[in-house]
Amino acid sequence: MTHASAMTRVGIEIGGTFTDLVAMGPEGLTVVKVPSVPRRPDAGVFDALDAAGIAAAAIDELVHGSTVATNAVLERKGARLALIVTEGFRDLLHLQRQDRSRIFDLFYRKPEPLVLRRETLDVRERTLSDGSHAVALDAAETEARIAAFLAGRDCEAVAICLLNAFANPIHELTVRDIVRRLRPDLAVTCSYDVTREFREYERTSTTALSAYVQPVIDGYLGRIKDGLAGRGFSGDLSIMQSNGGRVPAEEMRRSAVTALLSGPAAGVTGAVHQAGLSGHRNIITLDIGGTSSDVCLVHEGRPDLTRESRVDDLPVMMPMIDINTVGAGGGSIVWLDEGGMLRVGPHSAGADPGPACYGRGGARPTLTDAHILCGRIPADATLGAIALDAEAARAAFAPLAAQLGMGVEQLAESAIRIAVANMVAAIRLVSTRRGHDPRDFALVPYGGAGPLHAVAVADALDIETVVVPPSAGVLSAYGLLVADHGFHAGHTRRTPIAAPAPDAVRETVGALVAELDARCDALGLAGARHMAAELDMRFVGQAFELSVPLPLAALPTLTCDDLLAAFEAVHQKIYHHGGGQRGKPVEIVSYRVHLRVPQAHVPALPTPPVDDAGAARPHPMFEDGGAVAGQRVTRGALSAGGGLPGPAVIEDATATIHLPRGWQTAGIVAGNLILTRSR
Amino acid sequence: MTAPSLVDQAVISQALLSAAREMGAKLYRSAYSTIVRDARDASTGILDATGAAVAQSDELIPILVGSLSLTFRHCAALFPVETLEDGDFYITNHPYAGGHHLQDILIFMPIFVAGELVGFSAAVAHHTDVGGGAPGLNSTATDLYQEGLILPPSKYNLDRDWNGGPLERLIAANIRVPEQTIGDINAQFAACRTGIARVRDLCTKYGTAKVRAVMAHSIDYVERRIRAAVAAIPDGIYVGEDALDDDGLGDTPLRIRATVTVSGDALSIDYAGTCPQVATHLNAPFASTVSATLACVKAVLTGDDVPFNEGANRAVAISAPQGSLLNPNFPAPVRARMEAIYRAYDCVLKALGQAVPERAIACGYDTTTAICLTYASDGRYQVYIETRDGGYGASAKGDGCDAVAGPLSNCTNAPVESLDADFPFFRVESYALRLGSGGAGRHRGGLGSARAYRILKDGARLAIYSDRFRIPPNGLAGGEGGACGACEIVRDGAVLQVKSKDTVLLKAGDLVISATGGGGGFGDPRTRDPALRAHDAAQGFTDEAA
Repeated sequence: MTHASAMTRVGIEIGGTFTDLVAMGPEGLTVVKVPSVPRRPDAGVFDALDAAGIAAAAIDELVHGSTVATNAVLERKGARLALIVTEGFRDLLHLQRQDRSRIFDLFYRKPEPLVLRRETLDVRERTLSDGSHAVALDAAETEARIAAFLAGRDCEAVAICLLNAFANPIHELTVRDIVRRLRPDLAVTCSYDVTREFREYERTSTTALSAYVQPVIDGYLGRIKDGLAGRGFSGDLSIMQSNGGRVPAEEMRRSAVTALLSGPAAGVTGAVHQAGLSGHRNIITLDIGGTSSDVCLVHEGRPDLTRESRVDDLPVMMPMIDINTVGAGGGSIVWLDEGGMLRVGPHSAGADPGPACYGRGGARPTLTDAHILCGRIPADATLGAIALDAEAARAAFAPLAAQLGMGVEQLAESAIRIAVANMVAAIRLVSTRRGHDPRDFALVPYGGAGPLHAVAVADALDIETVVVPPSAGVLSAYGLLVADHGFHAGHTRRTPIAAPAPDAVRETVGALVAELDARCDALGLAGARHMAAELDMRFVGQAFELSVPLPLAALPTLTCDDLLAAFEAVHQKIYHHGGGQRGKPVEIVSYRVHLRVPQAHVPALPTPPVDDAGAARPHPMFEDGGAVAGQRVTRGALSAGGGLPGPAVIEDATATIHLPRGWQTAGIVAGNLILTRSR
Repeated sequence: MTAPSLVDQAVISQALLSAAREMGAKLYRSAYSTIVRDARDASTGILDATGAAVAQSDELIPILVGSLSLTFRHCAALFPVETLEDGDFYITNHPYAGGHHLQDILIFMPIFVAGELVGFSAAVAHHTDVGGGAPGLNSTATDLYQEGLILPPSKYNLDRDWNGGPLERLIAANIRVPEQTIGDINAQFAACRTGIARVRDLCTKYGTAKVRAVMAHSIDYVERRIRAAVAAIPDGIYVGEDALDDDGLGDTPLRIRATVTVSGDALSIDYAGTCPQVATHLNAPFASTVSATLACVKAVLTGDDVPFNEGANRAVAISAPQGSLLNPNFPAPVRARMEAIYRAYDCVLKALGQAVPERAIACGYDTTTAICLTYASDGRYQVYIETRDGGYGASAKGDGCDAVAGPLSNCTNAPVESLDADFPFFRVESYALRLGSGGAGRHRGGLGSARAYRILKDGARLAIYSDRFRIPPNGLAGGEGGACGACEIVRDGAVLQVKSKDTVLLKAGDLVISATGGGGGFGDPRTRDPALRAHDAAQGFTDEAA
């Protein structure tokens, strides 16, 4: 095996606009940004490698993240699907959950299902929640029905989701075998292989999404593999997932659904790792891009996972990193509504024309323009390759400022405060939902505009510490390089907490552990395997479950009291009371096991080169309603001991940091710039 | 009071709205019952020191949103705010003292900052069971007393009266599923505490005076937005009429009439001409009438962009004759108030549709169909209630939405797999769109759905209240009306028709089928775009043989 320092690892992240590459090898760090090729996304991989001058044959490990699965759904360019469900439930995907995401919208439409109603077949069977059958499946009758349905049908894939299949998959497997026998040309996806948790609409949606993107991912990865092989690549190829772990590319053949929404997960993974190097394990990540901001809570070095997420408003029942998005980013437009309220976003100038200061014809004032007017982005700086036009920013703000009788800078600063308030509101809501207090966390900003807003956001939330990673603008691609291999298995199985419960827990968790081990064995994954189990528990009669962590080491001696104590501890944390009445019946609804295989050697982001030429020098800024004498310094010129007081602007190669009055640099630890309140 | 700066106004009002949302999240995340957790049948808000609503959660359902202040005033009139201390709370569910129906329990907790009363934190939740003459739903109630425990507007103290104290014991003793109801009330208190903490933080940070000023200006802001939208409507008097099928006893339609008067930026809505109150539980307390009216005005004039607060009440004058279906006299029963206020909503929609047709839609099924299945064994009740869907009306912009919660609620359906595990006395056997139930038109009305429940135990009981079993929603601009709803029981091969308001004792083997209606169509059906027709065919909407 190659020694770590001599290994070449490459992370390539394909986004909608840009493809980012971060490579670490004997030559050190390489960072490359090339335009994405929307019509042939795989071309971005090779363009990025060419631009970085990296020979495929020299790569030991390539980790890839891509929006190709998500885009297939957004653009409805996945497989032509047929769906097989339980008799009586053919309209499941059209009925959905009957609620509206916009309550007062008279013109509301439900998200369009991936399967046409006519392409759905219901088969006679009915499995119950205990796995027994109220209606047995007659194989001969079902085969005849499916044969008639599939005859001459122009579809590429079949999704199968029968009621309560998680409790007993035998009917799904029988249907699958019939389809395979009748039409060996079709790809078949069973719900039991995708997710084994209850709630039929969400499970069917997830199964359909998986079947829908599977051929797209297969084809896409096939082209990348062929292309790499043609260039002599013989390393390992793995793919980023939305749960923050990666998997060997072969695993994507099993179920591609985990590739959905993997982009933001890579950023969180990079932030968690990098902040951990300076000992910050309770963090809130803040990724601010052009049109939106992503927020995630990380507790004890583990990002919060959500059990369900949405792609194009369609539910995906799969543990994912719980990332919340706010419609405020650098391109957000500043405007005055009909009631005289000053607002920022949700409309955005996007990448084209972009903010007025890009000089590409954008005439409306944006958040980025506001930062230029307040001196938080130096007017002579360049963003990417764009030279900034401060006068255009001023001209964009001037009419609104005149209308309001305010100075241009004053209006610009007001707009920034409002954008910050929107981000603060989002972080508060996420914290409450998760039973956390933001004051117990450090804020870790990244993305082009994260470090510009981070201290103001932290200040409003009474957060004491901001940790700015090096290369904050490309942290997502770095996240690919540091991600562990990650797998997940879950199962709905109702278990009342009574005498037989500990045995049932041992048996169910044991089976999930064995299943994950087998998957890793089949992929030939070496390295230590870290398993973590959690139980979805609730009071009997309660409509919502809490995720209760279960240490695997506790399994052999597990008692009912242990289970109840664990449940009460989580209940206490979220609701500030343990549920009160001991003796009230509690049940386990679902089981879940996560497996991580950490990398043996994790590459570190190099710290910025020392840059004495960029030492602190006076810089005019606008803060708290007036002009102030600030400083401007490059990150490489900062003293490791800290002590630089705000107001200041700290310039970094990929992101600009705003340090307001009342805050100071507190040092550089493991490459991270630490900012704290001045005493 | 000096006006807060533009930025303070934006930042603090955003923070107050965010506090109300956080309260909502706290409430539904810690609730026990499905109706709060999944159906979000709840509301939370921050009120100013006079009880005027400033900010309300917009992620919960519309019907409880518009009338918080109205309810509050009844509490404060009896127990003046000056008498309140930290830890006190107002509680009420009294329909004739500012409440809705008895199931909706409203709680207000004062927010003190350094001894000064700054405002109130409010949380409302629908409780599945509040006692009364029958578990879940008592459709035969002839007065309010039979509908459940009445909590008149009162002041209590959390430490003294709750957590095992006398009020909690009194409530728990009068209801059938106390752990659920008490658990949900605890969730309301938790939500209120979140609101109190957030407002205190804001006062510490910005000063109490500034926060109070922003509260006042937030109300002015909403009033201004709504008045601006009203000013854009042509002046005039617009009348909308519709009717409920019947009162559940006879078969006379119950007429509702709304007269909408627009004059400059003033909007008034009067329900003169509405039928008198009825003997059954279809009467709507005035607070519910106000909420429904404001919800329609907001949906047509401002959509989701303008938050809801007391400013809306100031901009719109609402009246209904005393003793009418929409403003009944005590002690008429009110449990099924939603049907009357849906029709009030439809009347306002029709009237505004004449004034600003491009912003309105045809009437939808717009009906609460509450299906309640109960079964008692070994002294324990199993109570299941669900609120069904219906089709939305079509508009100039497109087809109506299929099978969706009514515009005044936003209840989800219950997963069949969840019912399978929780309710061993029935099983859902099918759940499907009702093809052809949407009114034809250039754009068609949304479809209703049919859900079939197989009863597995003798002695189970069905209680239903619904409407539009006989009078369908009208189409708009030449579109056809939507289909009516229905409920049937298939027993031993025979089909029994269930009335829209009914109670039926069931037998094992019965199949109860609830069918909801569609929405009205928009425009002449002959002008329907061929592309839309092709899509209907591809979906199998127009070809049953699919």
